[in-house]
Amino acid sequence: MNISRRAIFWLLLPAFLIITMGLVGPLLWLFYFSLLASDAGIPTSEMLTSANYARLFSDFHALAVYGNTFKVSIYVTFFAIAFGYPLATWIAKLKGRKSAILTLVVISPLLVSIVITSYGWLVVLGTNGILNKSLMTLGLINQPIKWLYSTLAIVIGLTHIVLPFMVLSLLSALEKIDRNVIEAAAVLGAKPLKQFYHVTLPLSLPGLISGIALSFTICMSAYVTPAVLGPSGPQFITTLIFNQFVTFFDWGMGSSMAIALFLLGMGLVFLFLKAAYRYGGIAAGGQV
Amino acid sequence: MIRGRAEPLLLFVRVVLVMFILMPLAVIMLSSLTEGSIPEFPPSSWSLKWYSHVLSQPIFITSAWYSLLLALLATTINAPIAIMSAFAITRGRFRGHEAVQTFLMSPLIVPAVVTGIAILLSFTQFGWRNAMSRLVFAHIVITLPYLIRTVIAALTRIDSSTEEAAMTLGATPIKTFLLITLPQIMPGIIAGGLFAFIISFDNVSVSLFLSNAKFSTLPIVVLGYVEFNMDPSIAALSTLLIILTTLMALLIEHLAGLRNTLGS
Repeated sequence: MNISRRAIFWLLLPAFLIITMGLVGPLLWLFYFSLLASDAGIPTSEMLTSANYARLFSDFHALAVYGNTFKVSIYVTFFAIAFGYPLATWIAKLKGRKSAILTLVVISPLLVSIVITSYGWLVVLGTNGILNKSLMTLGLINQPIKWLYSTLAIVIGLTHIVLPFMVLSLLSALEKIDRNVIEAAAVLGAKPLKQFYHVTLPLSLPGLISGIALSFTICMSAYVTPAVLGPSGPQFITTLIFNQFVTFFDWGMGSSMAIALFLLGMGLVFLFLKAAYRYGGIAAGGQV
Repeated sequence: MIRGRAEPLLLFVRVVLVMFILMPLAVIMLSSLTEGSIPEFPPSSWSLKWYSHVLSQPIFITSAWYSLLLALLATTINAPIAIMSAFAITRGRFRGHEAVQTFLMSPLIVPAVVTGIAILLSFTQFGWRNAMSRLVFAHIVITLPYLIRTVIAALTRIDSSTEEAAMTLGATPIKTFLLITLPQIMPGIIAGGLFAFIISFDNVSVSLFLSNAKFSTLPIVVLGYVEFNMDPSIAALSTLLIILTTLMALLIEHLAGLRNTLGS
C-alpha cells in the first residue's frame, strides 16, 4: 500500500508528541535540573554548576552502592544464563499446547506484579519460611538461617524476575538454529555438553547478548525487590535515589544520581547492541 | 535430542527450575488460606478469613479501582495512537525508518525509575500537579511501546495482498483499513491491549513518584503495607490477582499467542 508523506506525518504525530512530552522533554529537564544548585526542590540560582556531580563522585557511600548494584547485576545475569539455557532449549523442542503451557509457566514472573513475587520470596525465605523449615526437617541445619536482608535474597528475587526475559531472548535465537546441525553433531558422536558448547552456544550468541543486556538494564534499575527483600540490607542505586528525593529532599543530588544511572544504562545497552549486531543479531526489548 | 528421551540429570534440572519459578506463586496461593496471623506453608489450619479481611479494607479496594481505571484509560487512549504509528511504520516507505522505530520504543530502554523522576520534576516545574492526570499520562508513555510493538507484529503477520486487492477494486485507503486491515489485526490489538493493561496495572517504578496520599495505585499501597505487616491478607489479595492475570494471559495466548504479544 502506498501512503503519502503527509499521511505518514499525521499518523506518527500523536505517538511522537507523547514520547517527546513524556520522556525526551522530562529527561532534558532532569539533566538541566541536575546542573542547578537547589534547596528542597527549588533552584536557588540560574547559574549552571557541576556541583551535584562533584558531590556524587566524592561520595564514597554512593559510589559503593553503584558498585554493589553492578556486582549484584553480574551475579543475577550469571544465574539467569545458567537457568535460562536449559529452559529455552526445552521450550524450543516442544510443540503446540505443551510449548504454550511451559512458556506461560516460564513467563509467569513477568506477568505477575513484582510486588507479589517479592512478597512470595519474603514468605519462602523468612526465618520461619518454608526454606528454613524444610532444611531443618531434612536435618541439614539446626537453626534457621537468616536469608532475608542479604545480597543472596536479592539475587534470588532478581534472578526470578530476569529469567523470563533471558529465556525469551535465547528462545528467539535458538529457534533460528537448524535442528539438523545439532542432530549432525549428535550423530557424529558429540556428547550433549560438547554439542552445547560447540553448536548451540555459538549459534545462540545474539540471543544471549540481548538477554544479558536486558538482565543488566532490569537489575540496575530494580527497586521493588531490594526494597522488599532487603530494606535494611545492601542498598541499591534506586533506593539511594528514592531516599535523596523523599527522605533528604536533596533533589539536586537525586537528579545527578538519576542522570548517572540513565547514562550507565544507555552505555550498557549501546555496548551490548553493538556486540549483538556484530554477531548478526537482534535485541528483544522489554522492561519491568 | 536423538534418543528422544531426556537424560535423568537434565530432567532433574528442569524440575528444579520449574519449581524455582513457581515457588513464590504457589507459596502465596497456599499460605493465603492460613488461619493464623502469619502466612504458613502449608497452613496448620485452613480458613478463608483473610480474603474477607482484605476485601473489607477500603484502602485496598479504593486503590484497586484507581489502578483499574488508570490501566483502562491508558490502554484505550493508547490503542488508536499505537495502531496509527504501527500502520505508518509497517506500510509506509520513508527515510529514517529504523530511527523512528527506535524513538518510539525508547521508553523501554530508559530505566523506569529515571522516567518517573523526570516526569515528576518537569511536570511539577511546569505547573501540572494533578496526581490522577499525571499518572494517566505517565502510564500512557510507558505502555505505548508495548502496544506499538504488538500491533506492528500483527500487521506484519497478515497478508497485505488483500489490502492491495481492495485498493485495486477502488476502495479508499481509509475504507480499506477499516474493512480489510482492522478486522484482521483485531485479535492482535486486543492481546496487546491486555498486555499493556497488565504492565500498567503492575507498574511500581513510575507510579511510586507520582502517587500521593490521596491517589495511590494498588501496587504502591501493597508495597507500603508489606514493609510493616506480615499478615496473610496480602497473600489473599495476591492470589486473586494471580488468578486474574492467569486468565488474561490465557486470553492473550488464545487471541494472538503470548510470544507474539511479548515481542520476542
